[in-house]
Amino acid sequence: MSQKHSSSNKGVFDAVVSWNRRIGPEFYRLALEFSGAGAEAIAAFRPGQFVQIDLSTAALPPAEAIPQHLADGARREILLRRPFSFADVDVRGDKTHAEVLYCVVGPATLRMTTLSPGDAISVIGPLGNGFSVPAGKKVALLAAGGMGAPPLQYLAKVLTAEHPDVDVLAFAGAKTAENLPFERPLDAISQQLGFSLPEFARHGVKSQVATDDGSAGFHGLVTDCLAGWLGVGPGSARDSTVIYACGPEAMLARIAQIAKQSRIACQVSLERRMACGFGVCQSCAVECKVPDTNETAQKLCCQDGPVFDSREVLFKR
Amino acid sequence: MTQDLDISVDFAGIRLANPVFTASGTCGYADELADFMDTSQLGGFITKSVTVQPRKGHATPRIVETNAGMLNAIGLANVGLDKFIEEKLPVLENMTPAVLVNVAGETIDEYVTVVERLAGEKAIAGFEINVSCPNVAKGGITFGKDPKLVAEVTSAAKRASGQKILMVKLSPCVTDISEIAHAAVEAGADALSLVNTFTAMVIDIETCKPVLANKTGGLSGPAIKPMAVYLINKVYDDVAKSRGVPILGMGGIRTASDAVEFIIAGASAVAIGTANFIEPDCAAKIIQGIHKYCARYDIPNIRELIGSLEV
Repeated sequence: MSQKHSSSNKGVFDAVVSWNRRIGPEFYRLALEFSGAGAEAIAAFRPGQFVQIDLSTAALPPAEAIPQHLADGARREILLRRPFSFADVDVRGDKTHAEVLYCVVGPATLRMTTLSPGDAISVIGPLGNGFSVPAGKKVALLAAGGMGAPPLQYLAKVLTAEHPDVDVLAFAGAKTAENLPFERPLDAISQQLGFSLPEFARHGVKSQVATDDGSAGFHGLVTDCLAGWLGVGPGSARDSTVIYACGPEAMLARIAQIAKQSRIACQVSLERRMACGFGVCQSCAVECKVPDTNETAQKLCCQDGPVFDSREVLFKR
Repeated sequence: MTQDLDISVDFAGIRLANPVFTASGTCGYADELADFMDTSQLGGFITKSVTVQPRKGHATPRIVETNAGMLNAIGLANVGLDKFIEEKLPVLENMTPAVLVNVAGETIDEYVTVVERLAGEKAIAGFEINVSCPNVAKGGITFGKDPKLVAEVTSAAKRASGQKILMVKLSPCVTDISEIAHAAVEAGADALSLVNTFTAMVIDIETCKPVLANKTGGLSGPAIKPMAVYLINKVYDDVAKSRGVPILGMGGIRTASDAVEFIIAGASAVAIGTANFIEPDCAAKIIQGIHKYCARYDIPNIRELIGSLEV
């Protein structure tokens, strides 16, 4: 465990795996426990921030458990850490517990599935800037596309705890019902009351589901679902509304457009390939507008983001 | 740690507390690694490349992981000379390790401009002349592949560098690295650093497109280490040893054992690059590990180890 040599609270910490649970065909939740300096540092983790996890020492699953499309990639050794935003952080006594919601997409997340209770892993964090609540906001709309859900799950918890005067509503979209990275949707009665997803319902937050194929909830894109809601929502409340979005870049670009048209404040959490996560490798460039000019400048997703004001970003096509 | 062990080295006239640097482009401009380690422990520190004008760098993706390595094509993104002087130099003034500024340019004049402006700065011990960046259309490796151009850049920069040390960073992507090293030393280089990254490419077989926006990138990490060790030993034998010019060795170093291997091959000091991304405090661990190695093998002075390869 490294000593701290600056005023920031980030560092390299060891975490111990509490449990690692499959919640859907490709989705898992991994619970980590931090002690000592790590517990203190991760307790300060804000929704939308991220950590870099070293998965290079995690074992591969047995050959028969490796999906066919990952079989070749699985033979590659892992060098770099992988960035994850926590879906939950909970301080209990002198320990801090954090949950990673992940999807198996490549050799590193494949190895992540074999982590077992008691295993130690190295985590760098907290990194980057998370979501913030601008003054005077009374309505917060969370928009999650696919694997963009984790930081918004934790945001729902923090918003309801720290800003009881803010109404929070979540929108979650995916290609199909199976691709929604949530525990099974709630029963019909809860759904009638507006509570679809347990991860939001547990904080008293109502949610709407959208799937591209209509296999659950609204048939269409989550962006259309959100736009539809805004269309019928009270127009006068725009100044006091804020949108928080995380998901694929095309979705975020559309959300930014909706926010601009509706004159609603909007914060988006972006994703870039990154090697370090703390500003030295310069890999994770995000092209941003320079205020009051036609110029653009490269900001770093890891250091200046990953959460940006949607008006600032030139989204990748 | 055993107190009477001496792991300090003389590097082209500068006294280093130990032979460990952090490599350009992997440790920021100044104190960015301070969140993770006490950077005053380092022997030396090399800044991110500085060019006369600010550079935005390439589009993303700028990196891709490979087996035991990674490719990068950042495109020398940097704040430019003026902002470097205004914002970064004051931080460097408070740093204990020897600070070298990595200098890049598209023309010889651009290298000279940066060196001239910084040659009088107390915070800086010297310059690392980057004639080996594989990721830019002009400058970089286009200089580094031609011994005549390497000699021209080196002698022009040497004239501008005053009392500061001038180190030339070599590319491994040449037919005969010793020929380039010789040209740099003849033209006045006080030290050589090698190797920069190996030009490489990764293709996405689903789209049949290169993964990196720049098409190619520089391969670094453990994958290149044995090639780097070979090239350092070759330059040591062919040029550096006879001319008394120190080598800063780099290429895939992650552990103290790796560092010792480079020193045995002929490096007077080593630089940690890609490993900083994964383990940002690894330079401190490597310094400790070198100490332990010297204690274990009863080497009172690390200078005995430099180029001690037995054949």
